[in-house]
Amino acid sequence: MLDWLFNGKKLRENGVLGMNDRNYSVIAKNNKRSLYVLVDDKVKTKRLANSININTPEMIGIIEHQYQVQNFLNIIKGHDTFVIKPAHGSGGKGVLVIKKYDGENFYSASGAVLSFKDIYQHISNTLSGLFSLGGQYDVALIEEAVNFSDVFANFSYHGVPDVRVIVYKGFPAMVMMRLATKESGGRANLHQGAVGVGLDVQSGLPLRAVMHNKPVFQHPDTKANLMDLRVPFWREHLLIGALAYDMTGLGYLGADIVLDKTRGPMMLEVNARPGLAIQIANGRGLKTVLQEIDLTYPKGLSAEERVDFVLNKRK
Amino acid sequence: MKLALCRFFTVRKVLSFLLLLSVAYAGYGIYYKVKYWGFTLSPNALTDVWTVEAKVSFDAIGGDAKVSLAVPDNKDGFKILSEEIIAKGYDVSRDKKNGRVVLSGKDKEGKQNLYYRLSIYDDAQYQASGMSVAAKVQRPLLTEEERGQMRKLWDLSKLQKGDKVQKIISIVNQEIATPTMTPVLPLNYTTKEFAEKIIQILAYKRIPARIAWTIKLEEDKKTDKPDIMLEAYLDGKWTLYDLNTAKIGLPKNWVIFQRGGVSLLDVRGGENSKITFSVLKTVATPAKMAEYRAVANDKLMGYKYSIYTLPILEQNTLKWLMIFPLAILVVVIMRNVIGVSTMGTFTPMLLAMALVKTGFWYGIICFSVMIVLGLIMRAVVAKLNLLLVPRISFVVIFVILLIQALTVVGYRFNYAVVSSAIFFPIIITAWIIERASITWEEDGAANTIKEIIFTLFTAMVTYFVVSSEYVRHVMFAFNELNLVILFIVMLLGTYTGYRLTELKRFAPLAGEDK
Repeated sequence: MLDWLFNGKKLRENGVLGMNDRNYSVIAKNNKRSLYVLVDDKVKTKRLANSININTPEMIGIIEHQYQVQNFLNIIKGHDTFVIKPAHGSGGKGVLVIKKYDGENFYSASGAVLSFKDIYQHISNTLSGLFSLGGQYDVALIEEAVNFSDVFANFSYHGVPDVRVIVYKGFPAMVMMRLATKESGGRANLHQGAVGVGLDVQSGLPLRAVMHNKPVFQHPDTKANLMDLRVPFWREHLLIGALAYDMTGLGYLGADIVLDKTRGPMMLEVNARPGLAIQIANGRGLKTVLQEIDLTYPKGLSAEERVDFVLNKRK
Repeated sequence: MKLALCRFFTVRKVLSFLLLLSVAYAGYGIYYKVKYWGFTLSPNALTDVWTVEAKVSFDAIGGDAKVSLAVPDNKDGFKILSEEIIAKGYDVSRDKKNGRVVLSGKDKEGKQNLYYRLSIYDDAQYQASGMSVAAKVQRPLLTEEERGQMRKLWDLSKLQKGDKVQKIISIVNQEIATPTMTPVLPLNYTTKEFAEKIIQILAYKRIPARIAWTIKLEEDKKTDKPDIMLEAYLDGKWTLYDLNTAKIGLPKNWVIFQRGGVSLLDVRGGENSKITFSVLKTVATPAKMAEYRAVANDKLMGYKYSIYTLPILEQNTLKWLMIFPLAILVVVIMRNVIGVSTMGTFTPMLLAMALVKTGFWYGIICFSVMIVLGLIMRAVVAKLNLLLVPRISFVVIFVILLIQALTVVGYRFNYAVVSSAIFFPIIITAWIIERASITWEEDGAANTIKEIIFTLFTAMVTYFVVSSEYVRHVMFAFNELNLVILFIVMLLGTYTGYRLTELKRFAPLAGEDK
């Protein structure tokens, strides 16, 4: 029953990174506080990414002040599908995906039918800081919805399947794919019940999959075999991660990447404090990898070179 | 070189060193306060304060009257809290040589009542005094028969325990009713006669001895007979003996009024002089006594700049504040070592503090009721789609009104459980309601309840640490401990080990094959 109390030694041997260690030895030492603003504000991140040719969803507009909310319908003119998100949001909070707008009602990705009044309310809430870290005033960002590639259609229930790449000192260190489930309400957050599939950094092949910390082999809703998951444009995925390091200077970051049908892999956001559940999805401790990067990986390479180094490295 | 220095002065090492320093400082602080200020580890320790009053009465015969009274010496076992002489129309002076109080009055006639009052505390260990050297003792003039008895007694005494004086006291006590002693002591002898007889027996062997006038401290005692003890000069110092038990030294709760053989009271210019002693016992808290003790130990400066000289209101506030560091330490441990996630960092701590004021079960029940009512109200208001700040403000005001209503209801119907609502921090309660309702919407009821339970659990653990009166007393009386806590908390800031809950969370990664 209480066997887990004695896991400490084994976890250490397996190089599992704990929360305290992550905060003290990894984040505090590699992520300068002043760089956080670059990733905490999605508008900034987007502009930064576009400046070095990282694909992101096209921005339709931003609403910064309450009086601009009335202008919403003008902003979205010509778009019948778009996403409204708080620029300072975290964990997918406050993200509203509109699949269809018929001139009167908005149809959200989760199946709700919303009126303009509801949208107005949502944007007002966003501006007043309901979804932002610490509740400070926020900005609503309206961008084009990703035209999701069909390759993952079988692996996700509603919502957005995304690839999370952990990048350490510019080198892709660990990757997982997050698949929304019925339970997670279409969100890709593991603690809300999404499935995490660990992917081998070199081959992009699935290693194992977990849901609520327990191994799974099938998607609970679509019943797809998770080991059949294949991610196209693998190198491009890793490259976005590596470029995110050049772009932000964060030594330890998590890049969230989605696959668009026509535009290929796109970066959605960068996280300066990516979580540790990825280790469970990969069945592997992160600390071992980080130490290896620290000790044996070459320095002074470009993003392309770093990705190639990782891809061609002998196991 | 620089690298070597860096390795030597790691954050952890520096902090550990500072922690050690703070522990040493706190240790010394505790020692200092216990020793010099009389602070105690227990919150309920009380100090006995004895007030001994000697009333001297005599009939003045007209003309000048002079009273000389032997009084206790600060060195003799007790510390003096206050000394008071009430003698109207008398000049008070002290005889520096022997410490006696001298009262002199002019043209006194009729009944005179003079009072000497002394408050003492902390009986220290009695020490034999080697100060004054005894004069040579003359052997008493004795008849042949008496000499025989003396020899016999000394012979008998050899079988007794202790030093020579103890042996004699023991044997005389034993033989008192036997024919051997009948000629020596009268049948109805007084303690004084008994003491004088011992002195005589000791004088036979040229051991100097004399009577000491003492008072045994007993509650509400009133007597005109001081307790007599014996002092004998043996091995170069004067030692005190109990005449009944033959024990050496001053027993506990005993005060020496006069030693050195001179009389207790001398009255000139009066007759029928009489001295009456009354004893009263009161108690005082260590805090009350601290200043006297600081003065007595010549440590007043440190005391003056301590928090214990502040007005009582400020002290109470500080006493309340002094448990916060400990509560914070508990929260830090719960979060960073155990790994319990709570709503807000210090919310559990503030809840725990409220529980201290309300009592545990009352607080838990009342708080739960407030949260449930607040959540219901919040769910109703959610439909109105108010903006964030006004909505939280609504919750805050609702909580205030709720507290008001509960307090009034509780007071009217005498349900303390209800009226304890007033002690909960309003903003914290409102935020918990707001956070809970948002978590409810976004992560579902299960997660919300889990979060509330974790928060309450942490609050309970904190409560059980800080609710102890003992802990609160120690943290206030020995506030140096807060410095220790400061460095423990900082050192915990460098703790990189797994949190307890992570051992379970990462259990799938603890396999051997990986």
